[in-house]
Amino acid sequence: MTDWKKTAAALDPPIPEPDVEKLLPVMEALENAFRPLQRTLTPESDVWTGPEDVG
Amino acid sequence: MTILEMADALRAKKVSSLELTNDTLAKIARENPRLNAFITVLEESARARASAMDAELSHGIDRGPMHGVPIAHKDLVYTKGVRTTGGSKILKDFVPDHDADIAINLDRAGAVLVGKTNLHEFAYGITSTNPHFGAVRNPWDTERIPGGSSGGSGAAVAAGILPMATGTDTGGSIRIPASFCGVTGLKPTFGLISKRGVMPLGWTMDHMGPMTKTVRDCAVAFHAMGGSAAENVRLKNSDIRGLRIGLPVNYYFDALDLEVSESVRTAVQTAAALGARIVDIKVPDIDALNVVGRMLLLAEATSVHHEHLKRREDIGADVLTLLDQGRLIRGSDYVDAQRLRRIYCREFSKLWSEVDCIFTPATPTPAPKIGQTKMQVGAIEEDVRLATTRLMRGINVLGIPALSIPCGFTKAGLPIGLQILGAPRAEEMILRVGAAIEDATAVVGRRAL
Repeated sequence: MTDWKKTAAALDPPIPEPDVEKLLPVMEALENAFRPLQRTLTPESDVWTGPEDVG
Repeated sequence: MTILEMADALRAKKVSSLELTNDTLAKIARENPRLNAFITVLEESARARASAMDAELSHGIDRGPMHGVPIAHKDLVYTKGVRTTGGSKILKDFVPDHDADIAINLDRAGAVLVGKTNLHEFAYGITSTNPHFGAVRNPWDTERIPGGSSGGSGAAVAAGILPMATGTDTGGSIRIPASFCGVTGLKPTFGLISKRGVMPLGWTMDHMGPMTKTVRDCAVAFHAMGGSAAENVRLKNSDIRGLRIGLPVNYYFDALDLEVSESVRTAVQTAAALGARIVDIKVPDIDALNVVGRMLLLAEATSVHHEHLKRREDIGADVLTLLDQGRLIRGSDYVDAQRLRRIYCREFSKLWSEVDCIFTPATPTPAPKIGQTKMQVGAIEEDVRLATTRLMRGINVLGIPALSIPCGFTKAGLPIGLQILGAPRAEEMILRVGAAIEDATAVVGRRAL
């Protein structure tokens, strides 16, 4: 899983350390929910391109 | 008075637009200290505009049902020469040099702009507890939030200050305040109403729409916002006999306040009594849709406000946290979220061969208290923002039209919202269904304050 502290520190400008602590639980939960969905994608999975994909 | 009542009264010469406008301005003066629904009030220009609209009517020029009707814009909508703050300290003195398309269209329809409504900072939140312009308060209980981000618009309409205000909806920002304030809010199909000149939040999920007291007014305002203001846009038919209404057997009723669940199920029974056919349906994975929606919005909102992050001290704590989260989203993850979105849009669209529309609760609970960050939903304690958006956020990912109408009240007197979903560009149909429910339940007659 992503090391969010390291990622936040590597940004230009970095996210101030006290603020990073507030982000960690949310980012970890979001990543835990997103990665399994992401693994269902196949090379044929095209990108949403706008109103034509709404239907 | 509703838009249509005003329209009739104006044409019968029982009232003038100037009188309606003066009455609206008096209500703002009386109620705004309590509700904080307006950031800017336009007394002088509104009176001048109302007089001009009266003069047109007296010369036989009739722009349609919104001619001479007082309205407000969410303070995210560009108004030429009138400051447009986005609810932000950073933009507190920003004065656009042009109008948003929806402002142009409502102007062409003859509406009288009386003010700009308060909102969650940058429209990025659901409370409208704005750290720079003060918290908007819910007219049904001023200790509670009106919802957001279009909280000022919802509160102003609910309080009867005016019959219509504009809203924007990126993850529920029209429908949440509609639900919490007991008014009607329409999030149209993605791209149907122009976004030009409205401060963005999420490029691919922003929707513009009206907030009104009644569904019939909503139909009129929706057409006016889209640029067709003619008299024939009035919704006349509310016959729903034979329509197939989908009732989700999964997700939407799983974790709800009991009174919300009962009210929405009563609305379903009402629809059945009016001749609609209720069809049990299984909806695709809404949790997955919500996760995709959050990934997209985090990245897009940070893209929109990247420059503003240079002034961290001037951004409210909750919005700053979200903007920082957006900086952490990888480009490849954002693109994958858009790829998943396409799959989910196709999956969900299969439902439209089974049903014509879908009934769900709008929000899992009635309005929480100002400052509340956690709330009990059934047996579960949830984050207020995530709980409040979980029945709506995914709908912005799909881009389909969604209407929120009041369908009842809690024992404590707080409004409860029903969400009606339709296939892309099925606005007329969901408005027709909403009007039928509205007529049958008579919930709208109840007044806040």
